[in-house]
Amino acid sequence: MTSQNQIRLMSHLVAGYPNLDVSLEVADALVRGGSTFLEIQLAFSDPSADGPAIQNACAHALSNGFSTQKGLAFIGEVHQRHPEIPLFLMTYASLAYTPGIENFIKEAKKVGVTGVIIPDLPFDQDEGLTAACKKYGMENIPVAAPSMTPERLNKMIDAKFTYIYAALRAGITGSETTIDSQTLQFLDAFSKGSSKILGGFGIRSGSQAKQLANHVYAVVAGSVFVHEITTHYNPQNENESKMKIASAVETKAKEITSL
Amino acid sequence: MSHNGFFGTFGGKYVAEVLRKPLDDLEIAFDKAMQDPSFLEELRTLQRDFIGRPTPLYFAENATKILGGAQIYIKMEGLAHTGAHKINNALGQALLAKKMGKTRIIAETGAGQHGLATAAACAKLGLPCEVFMGEVDVRRQQPNVAAMEMYGAKVISVKSGSKTLKDAINEAMRDWAAHFDNTHYLIGSALGPAPFPDMVRFFQSVIGKEVQEQSQERHLDIAALCACVGGGSNAIGFFAPFIDKDAPRLIGAEAGGIGPGQNENAVRMSGSAAKDGIVHGYKSRFLLDDDGQVAETRSISAGLDYPGIGPQLADLGKNGRIEFRAITDNQALEALQFFAKNEGILFAMESAHAGAVALQIAKEIPKDKAIIINMSGRGDKDIFITSPVFRPFEWEQFLQSELDRLKQGTDIHYAESLPTNLKKELENK
Ligand SMILES: Cc1ncc(COP(=O)(O)O)c(C=O)c1O
Repeated sequence: MTSQNQIRLMSHLVAGYPNLDVSLEVADALVRGGSTFLEIQLAFSDPSADGPAIQNACAHALSNGFSTQKGLAFIGEVHQRHPEIPLFLMTYASLAYTPGIENFIKEAKKVGVTGVIIPDLPFDQDEGLTAACKKYGMENIPVAAPSMTPERLNKMIDAKFTYIYAALRAGITGSETTIDSQTLQFLDAFSKGSSKILGGFGIRSGSQAKQLANHVYAVVAGSVFVHEITTHYNPQNENESKMKIASAVETKAKEITSL
Repeated sequence: MSHNGFFGTFGGKYVAEVLRKPLDDLEIAFDKAMQDPSFLEELRTLQRDFIGRPTPLYFAENATKILGGAQIYIKMEGLAHTGAHKINNALGQALLAKKMGKTRIIAETGAGQHGLATAAACAKLGLPCEVFMGEVDVRRQQPNVAAMEMYGAKVISVKSGSKTLKDAINEAMRDWAAHFDNTHYLIGSALGPAPFPDMVRFFQSVIGKEVQEQSQERHLDIAALCACVGGGSNAIGFFAPFIDKDAPRLIGAEAGGIGPGQNENAVRMSGSAAKDGIVHGYKSRFLLDDDGQVAETRSISAGLDYPGIGPQLADLGKNGRIEFRAITDNQALEALQFFAKNEGILFAMESAHAGAVALQIAKEIPKDKAIIINMSGRGDKDIFITSPVFRPFEWEQFLQSELDRLKQGTDIHYAESLPTNLKKELENK
C-alpha cells in the first residue's frame, strides 16, 4: 500500500556496519530516501536466517567490537534524529533471551524502539516476548513464511499482531526473489485479518516493490542496502565512502518507494 | 521421550517459521516409521550387515588389573563401519529420508566423522549428499575430506563466522530453509530443534540396548557408564535404556581443553561458565558471552569442540541423573596412551575423554562391579593430531618427505627410504 504517493518502505540496516559512524549516516540516508520504518539489526555471531551479505555485515560489526549496549545506544541516536520514524529492532533469540526477555525489552523501550522482530522465537512459543512488549507498549512482529500450513497461518492471524513480517519465499535473506501469483496469494491470505503486512525478502528494485505495493502495508528491503554499503565502503577513505554510501542508499530507497 | 519437544525446560523448536513445516513433517514421518515393522526390519538388517552390529562389549582385563578396582569394559563403537557411532544415526536418518521421498541429503560436520558416516550411508542408499564443513576444519581434517569425496559426497567449505562446526550447522540450516521440499537435513548429534533430539537418541540407542543385553548375558553388575559428550549423541544413545532407572551412575565427559578459562574448553555442564540459551533452534546450556554471542570453544578433539549440548542431556544434568566431568586435553591423551599400550585399543580423542573418567573412578569402585566405557570411535582418524604431540620430529620429517615426493611426482617405490637429514638427526639423538 501507499501513502502520500509513494510506496511505504521498511528499510533494514545492521547497526555498526561498516562502523557506528557510517551506519548512522546510512540511517539518515534511508530516511531521506523515503523510508516509513527502519529495521535495525543487532549483530549475532550465528545469524542462521541470513544470507552472505547480512552475515558478512554482522561479522564485520562484531569484529569492530559491537555489543548490545552499543547497538541500543545507536538506536537511541537514530531515534533522536528521526523521532517520527518507528524503529523496529531485529535480532536473534540468543541476544534477547540471554539478558532476560523482559530486561531486553525494557532496555529497547528506553532508547525508543517501537517493535521487535526475532525470527527464531516462534509466535506461539515466544518466551514471554509478546507479553513483555505489551507491558512496555511495544510490538512483537512475528515473521510468517509461505511454507506455513493454513492452520498455523490462521493461528498467527487470529493472534491479532499489529504487524506481521511476511517473508516472501523460503530460504534466507539476500538471494533474488521472483514475485509470482503464489507470492501474492500468500500475501492476500492475511487480508482477512487486521495485521499490517510488512512484505519482503530479496527485494532489490523499484519494479519488484511496485508488484507488491497493493498487497502489503509496506515493502521490506534489507540486503540490497547492505550490498550498496559493501560496494562503496573504502576504509582507506572514510569521508568519501560515507558520502558515496549515503548517496547510493538514498537513491536505492527512492527507487523502491517511488510509485 | 520429550514432551512436545521439551525435556524439562530444554529443547523446543526455536526456528524461523520457514522451517516449522519441514520439522513438523519430519516428526510425523519419524513417528510413523517407529510404528512400521518393515522400516524397523530394514534398519536392523542394515545395522547388522552394513554397520557390523552388534559391536563387542570387551573386557579390558589388563586395564582392570593395573587399576585395581572395578572391572573395566569397553563398548567398541569404534568398530562400527566408518569408525565411530556416527553411522548409527546417519544410516537411520538417511533411510527415513528415503522413505519420505527426499532426493538429497545435507549434513554438517566438524571433525568429519559425521560427514564421513553420512557420505557412506548415502552412497549405500543411493542418495546425493552434500556436507557443510567449516573452512578451518576442512584444513585440519583433510583425511576425512578425502574419504567423504571418495564416497561421492560433495564437501562444501564454510567461510562464515568462526569457520568451524557451529558455522557448518548454520549453513546447513540455511540450505535446508531453501530446499526442504526435496532435501533432508541429517543432523549429526542429539541436538537442534525437535524432533532431532528424540530421533537421534532413538537411532543411537542401539548402543545402550546392546550393552544391556551383553551385560545381562555376562551377569555384570554395572556401577557406572562413561561416555564423552560433544553434542551428546553417543552418550544419550548409550545411556538411553538406563535413564529412567536409579542405577548405574551415568557420567558424561566434557572437553576440559587446556584449562578452565574462557575460550579454553567446551565445558557446558560441569563448570559455571555456561548459561541457559537459545541457539541453533533449541534451548539448552551454551557457552555464551553476557550479550548472548556464542563463545569460541577449544578442545584437542574436534568432535567435542562445540558450544552447546543436547537438550535432554542438559535436563538430565540439571536434575542430577547424569554427572558431568571436565577432562583436559592432557588427561585425554594419557588415557589414549594407557588403553593403547595396555589393551591394544586405540581410542578416538573424543572417546579418550570417557576413558579418562574410568581411570579416575576405577579405584573407588569395588572389584565385583563393572564400569563400561563407550569408545565412541577409534583413533586412526586422529593420526594428524596425535602424531604432532607424541612424535613431532618424525612427523615433520614424514610430512616434508611426502610433500617433496608429491612435488617431484615420484612413485613411493622410488622414494628414498628416509630423507638424509632425518637419518642424521636420528643418529645424533
Ligand atoms: C568418535 C566421536 N565421539 C564423539 C563425538 C561427539 O559427538 P556426540 O557427543 O554427539 O557423540 C564425535 C563427533 O564428531 C566423534 O567423532
